[in-house]
Amino acid sequence: MSGDPLLSKLYPCGRIARRRFIHQLGGGFLGLALGGIWAEAGEAPQPAGLPDRPPKAKSVIFLFMCGGVSHIDTFDPKDNKWAGKLIDAVGFGDNLAEMRRPVIPCLRTFKHYGKSGIPVSDWFPHVGGVIDDIAVVRSMWCHEGNHFPAVIETTTGQRGRQFDHPALGSWVSHALGSANQNLPSFVNIGRPSSPVQLTGGYLGASVAATPFQAGQTPVPNLYPPRDGTRTGRDRQMEMLETMNCEFRETYAVNSDIQARAKAYELAARMQLSAPEAVDFSSEPDHVKSLYGIDEKETQEFGKQLLLARRLAERGVRFIQICHAGGGNGGWDAHGDISTHAPHCRATDKPIAGLIRDLKQRGMLDETLVVWTSEFGRTPWSQNTTGRDHNPKGYTSWMAGGGIKGGVIHGGTDEVGYKAVDSPHYCSDLHATIIHQLGMNLASMEVHTLGRTMRLVEDGTRIREIIA
Amino acid sequence: MAVFGPATGAVPVRKPSTEVWWSLKPVVKPTLPEGAEPNPVDRFINAELRIRGIRAVGAADKATLLRRAHLDLTGLPPSPAEQEAFLADTSADAYEKLVDRLLDDRQHAVRYARRWLDVLRYADADERMVAAPGIHLWRDWVINALHEDMPYDQFVQLQLTGRRANERTQMSATGYRSRREPRPGDEFALGLLARGAGENPQDLAINAVDTVSTAFMGMTVGCAKCHDHVYDPVSQREYYAMKALFDPLVLRKITLAGPAELMESNKAMAEAEKRRAPLEKAVNDFAAPYRAKLREERLLMLPPEIQAVMRKPENRRTVGEQKIADDYFPVLRIDEDKLTGAMPEEVRRTYEELRSRLNGVEVPRGQALPVFYTVETDPLREKEKSHVLISGDPSRPDLQNEVQPGWPFATAPALPPDFRDGRIEAFTDWLTALENPLFARVAVNRLWQWHFGGGLVRNPSDFGELGGRPSHPALLDWLAAEFVECGYSMRHMHWLMVTSEAYRRGSAAGVEFQESQQLDPADTLLWHFRLQRLEAEPVWDSLHAAAGILDLQTGGRSFDIREGDGEKNRRRELSDKAGSGNLKRRGAYIVRGYSSSRDVTPDFLRTFDVDDGREPCPVRTQTVTAPQALFLMNSPDVDRACAQLAERLEREPEGGLPAAVDLAWRLVFSRLPSAAEKAGALQYLENDAARLKELCWLMFNSDEFIYVR
Repeated sequence: MSGDPLLSKLYPCGRIARRRFIHQLGGGFLGLALGGIWAEAGEAPQPAGLPDRPPKAKSVIFLFMCGGVSHIDTFDPKDNKWAGKLIDAVGFGDNLAEMRRPVIPCLRTFKHYGKSGIPVSDWFPHVGGVIDDIAVVRSMWCHEGNHFPAVIETTTGQRGRQFDHPALGSWVSHALGSANQNLPSFVNIGRPSSPVQLTGGYLGASVAATPFQAGQTPVPNLYPPRDGTRTGRDRQMEMLETMNCEFRETYAVNSDIQARAKAYELAARMQLSAPEAVDFSSEPDHVKSLYGIDEKETQEFGKQLLLARRLAERGVRFIQICHAGGGNGGWDAHGDISTHAPHCRATDKPIAGLIRDLKQRGMLDETLVVWTSEFGRTPWSQNTTGRDHNPKGYTSWMAGGGIKGGVIHGGTDEVGYKAVDSPHYCSDLHATIIHQLGMNLASMEVHTLGRTMRLVEDGTRIREIIA
Repeated sequence: MAVFGPATGAVPVRKPSTEVWWSLKPVVKPTLPEGAEPNPVDRFINAELRIRGIRAVGAADKATLLRRAHLDLTGLPPSPAEQEAFLADTSADAYEKLVDRLLDDRQHAVRYARRWLDVLRYADADERMVAAPGIHLWRDWVINALHEDMPYDQFVQLQLTGRRANERTQMSATGYRSRREPRPGDEFALGLLARGAGENPQDLAINAVDTVSTAFMGMTVGCAKCHDHVYDPVSQREYYAMKALFDPLVLRKITLAGPAELMESNKAMAEAEKRRAPLEKAVNDFAAPYRAKLREERLLMLPPEIQAVMRKPENRRTVGEQKIADDYFPVLRIDEDKLTGAMPEEVRRTYEELRSRLNGVEVPRGQALPVFYTVETDPLREKEKSHVLISGDPSRPDLQNEVQPGWPFATAPALPPDFRDGRIEAFTDWLTALENPLFARVAVNRLWQWHFGGGLVRNPSDFGELGGRPSHPALLDWLAAEFVECGYSMRHMHWLMVTSEAYRRGSAAGVEFQESQQLDPADTLLWHFRLQRLEAEPVWDSLHAAAGILDLQTGGRSFDIREGDGEKNRRRELSDKAGSGNLKRRGAYIVRGYSSSRDVTPDFLRTFDVDDGREPCPVRTQTVTAPQALFLMNSPDVDRACAQLAERLEREPEGGLPAAVDLAWRLVFSRLPSAAEKAGALQYLENDAARLKELCWLMFNSDEFIYVR
């Protein structure tokens, strides 16, 4: 661009005017090898940039059900022969004492779906319809039995908050950067249970989740205040270049100053690309109804998942969707397990729609969909018809991104309490995701605060479900 | 950590180190290098530059220097009147007078207290922070201490013991030392230790070791919690010896109210309880039949023998029966929603009405009175033994592995600890003693870092092997010795640093300095002043000062810059109003902290690299990111500041738009515009005063605003 005589005359310090740069958007004229939209020249560690081997998945859509889903009533059926009997129970949450509790019957009916015949409960009929694309892992476990510690553990791979451990998405963003210079690499949609689910921790603010919402303002401070006009702002941006000119020439050697120019360019690009990503007007009705956007109960989550697909399409690496977050989480069914029902209804059709939509677009092969919760729920009762927290055994599932479809792996004991058959610590799920993204666990390691920090301290990928 | 840690109590033997690490060698005041420079700091800096053949940049112009000193020392830009006065003062010591004035300003204490509190991990709230209400009183104490130039050793001593010593600490002194009675307000200094109290009683001591060792000793000992420190001379045993010093500490709540207020509060509670009693009875009586019905239904679901147990009155059950009853208690517990679920619609409405009448009578809790949490030594805990904790887990003491309280490393002369005055008192004497080489070195390096944008030791909280070596070892030792000699006056050290030639250098290096640039591109040897990005608080203060809406009152609780969302009520416990009327309080008072369940630290602070107080924060990283750009471009805060500044520009100066442009430059850049700049601005305005707001936006978004040069 410095070769253009007219341009260098108009903008003597060689910077391109914003109006012109808007017109050229999409042409990739900037040619900057930026790690992420929030790329910076500060002291934070720079992204490694490239995967270690050809990746199976380019993006991850991470569905987190806040509060603890009952595996027994969804993907891990048990016969009711123990129902009504007292068994030794360990209290979680507010009851820490050992006690005996009655096992409560599971009131769901399970149907064998697809060619694989994997049983799925009547709460997830639509997911049942795509079960041949899903690998169900019935033997997940973690240590923590209370919501916040367990959310931290299953999100960061570390227990406790002595250090500001980053969320899984931040590690991915740190290691891989963005495939799209106009959007952040780690996006969160929906209200999380804990701000920890968004944190970049010691990897820095630049890799933290950018909250997106399906609506008018997808990102904070994205739009100019109401009284401003587009042409007014364009004029301002040009004037800003002129005003910064002398300063930038004076401090040309300072990398911070260059980073600042870039930050403004990126902010401007976000203003243009983020609204486009959340604008569903180009989506045909049949696609919207696949996600259940035309039905009241599924509308909200459906919009969020459609947004997730659009972001994955645009190269966002890690899209985290928190369902029923805030406080302990909506899935926390202590009083009565039937409070799961509306959450299942709200998520079932959109999740199945997402998988079908990804598949029909040929995107499922390179998009890893993960469904999980911070823990499962106990076989015994709490308050007659409710279930307590159960970190000893729960179910997560994955689809696409080089994962086998239609398989069940691992299992809990006969009441559904402990993972006994091929138990997998929550870090194994992280290790699997990292592996499918084409990275080694060694790239999930930084040296900071005088020690080596890792995403996965002790864990390995779940080989049995990898295609 | 699984990777290193010995899982059980065996403490591995450390390899004896052959050489004493530089930071643990005694401080010996070096002789000044030859030279004509009046300020000793410059003798050291310039000698090094001469040796390396590096040419230094000359002094910055007066306006630049004025803005730099103001933002560094007070965090506020100079007002137009201050600019005029300083530029008009042609006396030889105009700059020194300016520095004196700024160091005496209370706003200087606000600015530097914020910097110290980063290191001391101040937070308004954390996960389980018992001491959260009233913690701001500790901040106020730090501000006061800095404002009265409390000697640094006393500053540390008071925050660890709550008491002032009569004489300066001499480790060789034996016998009991006389101590002054605490002055009113001294207990607030103990906020430092109280801040660390959490769910587990061990938290207090663990956090005390982490904060004290990083802040005052420049040692990151946290890793020694689970295993021997990989690089530094602190073993696991020494870590727990240090922790044992703080083990007897417990939290104590002080109600900050006079007798009359306490009586008043008590009376109000009693009255409310009296009014509630009949309403409560009405609610219970009304619900009783439904409760009984539900209980009966659930009883019938149980096996007959269990039913029989449950129907027995509690005092007639055997021990075995009571165990069964306890097991089944949760089954029979009737929650409110189950209860209302069992009522017909109309009955439920009546019931809810009764309940709302009851809830209408609030019991004014004792918490309404202001409280402060302090720490004290519990004589019982002092008698208990201390142990190594397995994997650093507070709930797993290794009972086979007892430790005695002691120092983390030896200093000469190596006297055995004397705990007759108390463990922490003895430790504080050891810490602040002249013989402790780290105490003064770490402190002067911090002050240096805050003025120059980088320490002589680049990792100010790590004087161990990972922290690297100082760029100017002799200067560091000279400063440390000078600090001790002047009686630990921080003001004196600030003055020495800020009046040096090195501090006054220009930041821009033109082509004529190409060679210097090549020889020392990172400016380690300080041949020019380092360009510094404004930190979050000065960004906030500069925006609102320019707009004329900055409230300079000091003290009190923190405030939240977010307005009008659902969490406001919860936040109110920790924060006050943002300011009076249209005014905004200083950025140092913006709420910060962390919690798993809610956002405490506002996005604005996080975007501009402010830590949440989880860890001691010795250096704020200076990132340059798109969210920062979006904040300055589009946030309501900046929009409001633009509007207010534009209004001020239209209202204040006489002389129309040209005068408005002059004032804008003065308020935002602390200088007058050049002729070309002024012409450009006027051309942009097109003679339309309505455009002033756009001009303000341009200025706040320009590089010159966000950088100190």
